[in-house]
Amino acid sequence: MELGLSFSVSSSLSHYPLTSPSLYSLPTPILSSPQPLISVSPESLKPPKVAAEVILDPRGGEAWGLTLYPSQLSGPKSVQGSRMPERRSRQLGSCMSSGCLPGEQILAWAPGMRKGLEPELPGTLICTNLRVTFQPCGWQRSQETPLSSEYDFALVNVGRVEAVSGLSRIQLLRPGSLLKFIPEEILIHGRDFRLLRVGFEAGGLEPQAFQVTMAIVQARAQSRQAQQYAGITLSKAGQRSSSRKPPIPLLEILEDWETERKKQGAKGWRVSTVNERFDVATSLPRYFWVPNRTLDNEIRRAFGHFHQGRGPRLSWHHPGGSDLLRCGGFYTASDPNKEDIRTVELMLQAGHSDVVLVDTMDELPSLADVQLAHLRLRDLCLPDSSVAEDKWLSALEGTRWLDYVRSCLRKASDISVLVTSRVRSVVLQERGDRDFNGLLSSLVQLLSAPEARTLLGFQSLVQREWVAAGHPFLTRLGGTGASEEAPVFLLFLDCVWQLLQQFPAEFEFSEFFLLALQDSVRVPDTLTFLRDTPWERGKQSGQLNSYTQVYTPGYSQPSAGNSVNQKLSVWDWDLRYSNEQILQFHNPGYDPEHCPGSWLPRQQPSFMVPGPPSSVWLFSRGALTPLHQLCPWRDSPSLLAVSSRWLPRPAISSESLADQEWGLPSHWGACPLPPGLLLPGYLGPQIRLWRRCYLRGRPEVQMGLSAPTVSGLQDELSHLQELLRKWTPRISPEDHSKKRDPNTILSQSC
Amino acid sequence: MRAVPRPPLPWGWAEPQPPVLVAAATAGARVAASAPARRCFPGRRYAGERGSRRWRRHQGAQALLRVVRAPRGEQLLCEASTVLKYVQEDSCQRGIYGKLVCTDFKIAFLGDDESALDNDETQFKNKVIGENDITLHCVDQIYGVFDEKKKTLFGQLKKYPEKLIIHCKDLRVFHFCLRYTKEEEVKRIVSGIIHHTQAPKLLKRLFLFSYAAAARNSTATDPKNHTVMFETLQDWCWELERTKGNMKYKAVRVNEGYRVSERLPEYFVVPTPLPEEDVPRFQGHGIPMWCWSCHNGCALLKMSALPKEQDDAVLQVQKSFLDGVYKTIHRPPYEIVKTEDLSSSFLSLQDIQTAHSKFKQLFLIDNSTEFWDTDIKWFSLLESSSWLDIIRRCLKKAIEITECLEAQNMNVLLLEENASDLCCLISSLVQVMMDPHCRTRVGFQSLVQKEWIMGGHCFLDRCNHLRQSDKEEVPVFLLFLDCVWQLVHQHPPAFEFTETYLTVLSDSLYIPIFSTFFFNSPHQKDTNMGRESQDTQGKPLNLLTVWDWSVQFEPKAQTLLKNPLYVEKPKLDKGQRKGMRFKHQRQLSLPLTQSKSSPKRGFFREETDHLIKNLLGKRISKLINSSDELQDNFREFYDSWHSKPTDYHGLLLPHIEGPEIKVWAQRYLRWIPEAQILGGGRVATMSKLLEMMEEVQSLQEKIDERHHGQVALQAEASSLLRASARLSSLFPFALLQRHSSKPVLPTSGWKALGDEEDLARREDESVDVGDL
Repeated sequence: MELGLSFSVSSSLSHYPLTSPSLYSLPTPILSSPQPLISVSPESLKPPKVAAEVILDPRGGEAWGLTLYPSQLSGPKSVQGSRMPERRSRQLGSCMSSGCLPGEQILAWAPGMRKGLEPELPGTLICTNLRVTFQPCGWQRSQETPLSSEYDFALVNVGRVEAVSGLSRIQLLRPGSLLKFIPEEILIHGRDFRLLRVGFEAGGLEPQAFQVTMAIVQARAQSRQAQQYAGITLSKAGQRSSSRKPPIPLLEILEDWETERKKQGAKGWRVSTVNERFDVATSLPRYFWVPNRTLDNEIRRAFGHFHQGRGPRLSWHHPGGSDLLRCGGFYTASDPNKEDIRTVELMLQAGHSDVVLVDTMDELPSLADVQLAHLRLRDLCLPDSSVAEDKWLSALEGTRWLDYVRSCLRKASDISVLVTSRVRSVVLQERGDRDFNGLLSSLVQLLSAPEARTLLGFQSLVQREWVAAGHPFLTRLGGTGASEEAPVFLLFLDCVWQLLQQFPAEFEFSEFFLLALQDSVRVPDTLTFLRDTPWERGKQSGQLNSYTQVYTPGYSQPSAGNSVNQKLSVWDWDLRYSNEQILQFHNPGYDPEHCPGSWLPRQQPSFMVPGPPSSVWLFSRGALTPLHQLCPWRDSPSLLAVSSRWLPRPAISSESLADQEWGLPSHWGACPLPPGLLLPGYLGPQIRLWRRCYLRGRPEVQMGLSAPTVSGLQDELSHLQELLRKWTPRISPEDHSKKRDPNTILSQSC
Repeated sequence: MRAVPRPPLPWGWAEPQPPVLVAAATAGARVAASAPARRCFPGRRYAGERGSRRWRRHQGAQALLRVVRAPRGEQLLCEASTVLKYVQEDSCQRGIYGKLVCTDFKIAFLGDDESALDNDETQFKNKVIGENDITLHCVDQIYGVFDEKKKTLFGQLKKYPEKLIIHCKDLRVFHFCLRYTKEEEVKRIVSGIIHHTQAPKLLKRLFLFSYAAAARNSTATDPKNHTVMFETLQDWCWELERTKGNMKYKAVRVNEGYRVSERLPEYFVVPTPLPEEDVPRFQGHGIPMWCWSCHNGCALLKMSALPKEQDDAVLQVQKSFLDGVYKTIHRPPYEIVKTEDLSSSFLSLQDIQTAHSKFKQLFLIDNSTEFWDTDIKWFSLLESSSWLDIIRRCLKKAIEITECLEAQNMNVLLLEENASDLCCLISSLVQVMMDPHCRTRVGFQSLVQKEWIMGGHCFLDRCNHLRQSDKEEVPVFLLFLDCVWQLVHQHPPAFEFTETYLTVLSDSLYIPIFSTFFFNSPHQKDTNMGRESQDTQGKPLNLLTVWDWSVQFEPKAQTLLKNPLYVEKPKLDKGQRKGMRFKHQRQLSLPLTQSKSSPKRGFFREETDHLIKNLLGKRISKLINSSDELQDNFREFYDSWHSKPTDYHGLLLPHIEGPEIKVWAQRYLRWIPEAQILGGGRVATMSKLLEMMEEVQSLQEKIDERHHGQVALQAEASSLLRASARLSSLFPFALLQRHSSKPVLPTSGWKALGDEEDLARREDESVDVGDL
């Protein structure tokens, strides 16, 4: 007992706040809120005298759990499983229950030592049905941040688990596999590039180590099979406020769409309610924007000729007059009549004489490419990567991730020039219309609309182009275990980060915001990222009332107890983050002079040149080629077989029309593009690795960017202003010298 | 002399007085025969009517001839008109016509249309070197294009190219089309350029001397330059006092008048007990020379190795001599001395040379298609040049030495053959990391002066200024600047100077009006400056030092060399030794004993256990293995430093992991228009920062005024940054001429990149390495 477990609470507390690596997405404030998940008292750590074989029943997951909630502390259900001293488990339980979330159950725990990061921390490894958490001794969970980005691993987030004994015995634990030895150390690889290494102390507690390891393996397997994203509301604040107002319009009601349309000034467009009951397409939002002149029944018919019923909709109206549209691939098997073709053409043209079809997938990686690159990147970035220092760069290149990032940026910047330079309709066409269309259309808006670069604007953008537009988050993030996993959204966040570091003064949100968003992807909290389609999201949150006509077999109304709060979304940041953390979402370097508002003349801007009369172009391989017709069906049946790739591939010609047709000035300096437009660099040396995100598992890689300096200055500024305001002629000299020393302020912030 | 007086040149070169014709440099007799040279009169304004149209049109000419303030004594050697300079080597082949001239100072292109220069973006102008000027020493390679084929040009030519491509050492690339130029002019200019840039030169023929001779009578420009030059005994004593090294070390004047050695400076510092008469025995070889003293009394020393001898008797003498020396410095008060042999266990100069020549090719772009083709392989190309790896090794070595000095209280003796290459590099890096004074501008300049100039780094040979031996050309100093850049980049608030400062310093290596980088040793400088022959000339030559930045930049532009984020050390601590308090803090916050026994992730460790061949096993073992003790010390020092908040006025260590060593983008990418991000880059934050700093400053002033009734410092004009709302990321070197063509990013490589090793399969591995 005295060997390894005489934890000195005071010493670990004293240096923890200073030395915790700051690269973890958000510094966890150490508050004095007395809400420890477990506070281990020495006598509560008496080793259970249990033989491991007896406890474990690998097939029946329920058999060995400790159910500690609701309030009544019931012993383990399995009779053999519980020979833990009654007194101890009760004590432990009462300590834990206060820190547990409603519905959370503690499955197993063991004392251990976190390794690999400075400093090594003694604490307890706990596995619940929601997360694996390492609770350092004396650490107190802040009420405001129910999930600590440092110590908590949501089960969804747990990737590979390895058990180690000595130098020689290593076992990779898959679902259902049985641990062959008592582990000395366990390695949990987070899918978010973190790594948790916990060493177990010798001295009688080995069975517990064994137990917790197996519990983690099984809990992870179960969470994956059952897809039980019932959603656990993480904070008390979230549980209480059932009728809170969403922080941004969630685009689930008609008014949101109407407001947004007006805001964009899209006069030739209206909100269509044709999909109100999700009978046109379940993956489409209930409302979307279509040209004024088209009727709902025309739309219904026309959409049928597109893949998965995803016909052309307005994505964004450029204040200069251009429209950005997105649609799925033409449905090959259909045989539209003349009127339908006319409607489709009308919708694609959207009242413009100049139409550019963009083959989205051209020059972009496939979903499988993205997934593979992400896996490789994770392999490279985890702290136990076997890549030598001097081979780091080529290994990084070998992941291809950065190549994909830059091809996305490049394409987006091309399209934004297309949208900005002339009045035209630009149509993004992807077969499924649910992955890269969203990525490109959001990037284009970020590049060309300063509104999208504000904190609110960006959130609405993601809500509109990803969540409402039906990006299959669950599948793409590997939640269903299906093979179609591909972190397209994470690729998008990386692209945004690249923009952020290239244009540090143009974005209102900071890197921390992007990190928080990235983290939220793997938090089973709100439904935002836990469903594939708006329809599924809607039926879960019980929004579809009686008039829903879609038949849902086996679906029962969620009971009030474990259901997600309907209105809660990922954008309710205060559910998971403290106010201090949310303050860090703001980029201190954001230059409000470039703020939205008067950035573009709303009426007939001079830089827009009307396109030539009724011309149809295909944008592919970085060049524009004239097309004879918009739709593939009319008189070239041979093209039908290629689905979304029906578009003829032009030969790459150096004599591309792009230069002239884009109306780009020959010298940037001579004839600048509108000031709001950002053109990112996508050269090899300009695309960087998002170190704070991907290298967060590495203790040694942490870099102070200049951001803290800026915020330090800002603090100083407000301090001085405050001082000046309150100034009285009797300021004591001590005060004066204190504030004169910017050094202290700077060093505090770094 | 066949030269005939010409009519006044259209661009206003001619003087109202009859021009004095002189023969061109004797070296190029053939050139001289066909191209009579004109002398530019020093100190005279040329006769173009100011403000006239012509005057405006030929601003470029003025840029060359800025006779008023720039190179005096410059001689025109040859010229060619109607040369087309390509703006960008791409399919459209746009360009501007103008005149290409070659003087004994530079090659310059004088465009007919200089309207582009009129805008205010070029406020960061170098007063000496214009945008289209290439000093002769800056020329790296010259290529000619014959029928679409590119060939290196050297020696005598039989055929003259239709296009001339000049690669510069500061990584600019110029394309000149000679198709429309008269044949004889082509011959003259091409052979002239080749001759003057590539033929071996005599030291006395450096432009430096004609410039100095011409400027002889001008007033010395060195009004407020606090850089310590280390040319006097007082300078050394001052430095000893500053670092509190005067207890154990003394400055000696044995070498006054270079009696002992021509490689050594006149004054230097040796350990106090060392007898002065020992110094001359091997011309200063084998003598530990003091570089710098640490706050705890430990010192960094350097020593050049004794000459290699075959004779046993001589060897014996050498051995006993060295024994004596070592005995002296091992006795108290010196305690332990650790010897670090840089010539055997560290980088070789050859490595540096190869790496740099590979590395620079990445940025010398002849044609953008080629560039885009290689761009997709950027990281692997970068890695294969191993330049970044060399930087990493230098930084790592410097950290190791820092650890000895700081944590182990050991003196360190650097040993190298001449103690003038890697010794300079490592010792100055250590000082930049440990001594906050070296991170101020004056301190840094003094450091370069002490370690490099007085330390006898052979700038003339290492930069190959005289074109005498390509083998000797090794960019050691540039490597040093790149290492310092890594530090500046990682800890911007710790330095008083900016990366722009480092960039322009690296450019100054090739401007032959400053004496700083154009001699191999102080002795060579002194003998050539004519100090001895004072009676013949009356007055010694007045050579400029590079530290006088006002020669190159207007005060406004000089603000860009100063880091606005730098906060001076609080005055309270002035009396205190800098490191002391700080070190104390660090030790207190160290985790007490745990870390020593803890297994560390080994970055620098070789895989020791060869039995573990399995990949999974390898990864795990990397986590769990503990490494040998020496590396552990280093690791512990490095890790514990990085886990603490940084004190910018204390010890400063760089990150040296793979992802952290970066390309010095400002220096290497600044001439590549594609690399420009309009309205982006660090400048964007910087201007915001400056704005806030100004605001803070004005507020403080207000408070000050009310409080003390006195006027505080003037807010620094940052108008350069504020001038334009949308600066480019390449500021202040921006070209602002990004062309619109968007080359296709090759994507074909994706599929080819290797068979997809099955990552999923690894998930299934369950390994019992013990069985292997």
